[in-house]
Amino acid sequence: MMDTEKEDFKSRLAPDVTPNRQLPWLTGIELLSDTNQNKHFLPTGLEGIDALLGGGLRQGQVTEIVGPSSSGKTQVCLSSATHVVDRNFGMVLYLDTSNSFSPFRISCFVNQLHPSLPKELKETSLQTIMSNIYCQSVFDIFALLDLLHHVETTLKHTVKLGGSKLCLLIVDSVSSVIAPVIGGKNSQGWCMMASVGVLLKRIAYEHNIAVLVTNHMVGGENGTLKPALGESWKGIPHIRLLLSHGTGNNRGTTTVLKHTLMASGRTANFVIGN
Amino acid sequence: MEISNLPISPSIRSKLLSKGYTSLSSLSSISPSFLAQELSVKLEEAVEVLRAVSDTTTSKSAHTPNGIIPGAVTAWDMLSEEQMQRHISTGCEDLDAILGGGIHCKEVTEVGGVPGIGKTQLGIQLAVNVQIPVEYGGLGGKAVYIDTEGSFMAERAYQIAEGCIYDILDKFPSNSREFLSCKERLQVNNFLAGIFYFRICSYTEQIAVINYLENFLTEHGDVKLVIIDSVTFHFRQDFDDLAQRTRVLGGLSLRLMKLSKMFNLAVVLLNQVTTKFTDGSFQLTLALGDSWSHSCTNRIILHWNGNERCAYIEKSPSVPSASAPYLVTGKGIRGINSNFKRARIM
Repeated sequence: MMDTEKEDFKSRLAPDVTPNRQLPWLTGIELLSDTNQNKHFLPTGLEGIDALLGGGLRQGQVTEIVGPSSSGKTQVCLSSATHVVDRNFGMVLYLDTSNSFSPFRISCFVNQLHPSLPKELKETSLQTIMSNIYCQSVFDIFALLDLLHHVETTLKHTVKLGGSKLCLLIVDSVSSVIAPVIGGKNSQGWCMMASVGVLLKRIAYEHNIAVLVTNHMVGGENGTLKPALGESWKGIPHIRLLLSHGTGNNRGTTTVLKHTLMASGRTANFVIGN
Repeated sequence: MEISNLPISPSIRSKLLSKGYTSLSSLSSISPSFLAQELSVKLEEAVEVLRAVSDTTTSKSAHTPNGIIPGAVTAWDMLSEEQMQRHISTGCEDLDAILGGGIHCKEVTEVGGVPGIGKTQLGIQLAVNVQIPVEYGGLGGKAVYIDTEGSFMAERAYQIAEGCIYDILDKFPSNSREFLSCKERLQVNNFLAGIFYFRICSYTEQIAVINYLENFLTEHGDVKLVIIDSVTFHFRQDFDDLAQRTRVLGGLSLRLMKLSKMFNLAVVLLNQVTTKFTDGSFQLTLALGDSWSHSCTNRIILHWNGNERCAYIEKSPSVPSASAPYLVTGKGIRGINSNFKRARIM
């Protein structure tokens, strides 16, 4: 389209668009160059998963990790938090619903990062990294919604002073707070679940943040396990990964259940270090 | 977030609400002239409103030291707190070692096993061990024991407390002044007085007592351990609607998580086993379903290994999976080696 035609088109659409709308109309070319320049991959630190995802967790997208109990979901979250801060992408906010955030485990991951550093540098590096990971406990869905609204407001009004900005938001696990309210005769729970989903996606998109959530599994037909939260939640994360136990103590397998860019069904093995 | 909390005059507030502006974010990007036109007020008044909005939002973020959300703590601060944290000994050194020192406070630990493996014994042992004074390496706290099955025996608790005191005095034979003052506290009756006992007879009572615990723990700030023995019993037989059971249990576990974090105590849930048909065969798993297995921070499974009792850590965010044998003796839960030490001295 010629520029004048574009302007004409925009001006004809403008009255229908509310004046509060902040997001501008973008062409495909603009979106593509924005994606290539700004939407980086944040590393999880686990080679198999990073390779499967094409680099790691995508900024602007919501990634979900599903898996049976003790399959490594929290470990993936802790490892991602460590590696993202180490590579200076920004701050990490970890919302914890089952008191599983273990600072000791984070320090183990940090010690594995640069094994050849001298002791004093290791200590300062440990302090720097751990001071950029913020943890908050959430125990019900109302507190979660409140927190997410607050994060959104703060991000809108923060002027970047050259310090760290939030780049990764982890909710471990989002299903623990949503599952007690959905089901039953009342449909209020499904509305709240949808609100959480929309909020997470909006925070991810508008502020260029990668969002990582974990989900658990429930029994399906024939005794097989399926991800919790049902069909309505399926559409909310952009990328869904299924973790399963591996042969050894710290080994596991990831399968892609849903991805916006690549075919699902691809698998990879990963190892969580000690 | 609410317009109703803004420091503006009531007439302007009612105009805002009638025009549909209910939250601060809806006012965040409007120009003053547009707002004046919308509300039919003067331009200066619209500017006032928008200034009040921006003041409220900036003051909210200014109160948070890190600028993100109030109450968030950095991992570095949590690490130093965690390193100073004491753990509750189980009585068996091997089990303490694989647990990273013992049962952690601020976490919910689930212990499950077949009947007769020693779950209640472990529960009573923990209720006694949490009261070991700080000078002897314990937490010096009290315990809340919620009994749903009626398996708590006061005589057994007396025996275990006696055994625990005997072992402490054996291990710390010094007679220095600070130990002397604690020795008076090392009476069996004090230990029994430090266990708050609740007997629960239905699932409604169980839900009620967990709701009541918050008030109770505010009054009794020295409680460091809450044991529920067992969390399964009333939910297995009376519930017809399994989906509702899952929801209720999910809410229960979130409340327990909140209590453990808020009051800095350990919550131990004892669970029963059931059979599950997986991979073509029947296997023993913990009861209450798949969703419940995600509701705890740590899970320990007690099982028989030949003729030996073994504890296996199935789930933990901070320690690797490992197994340790233990014994149930007259004095309580002990490790395999402690008996041998006694034999050698004799």
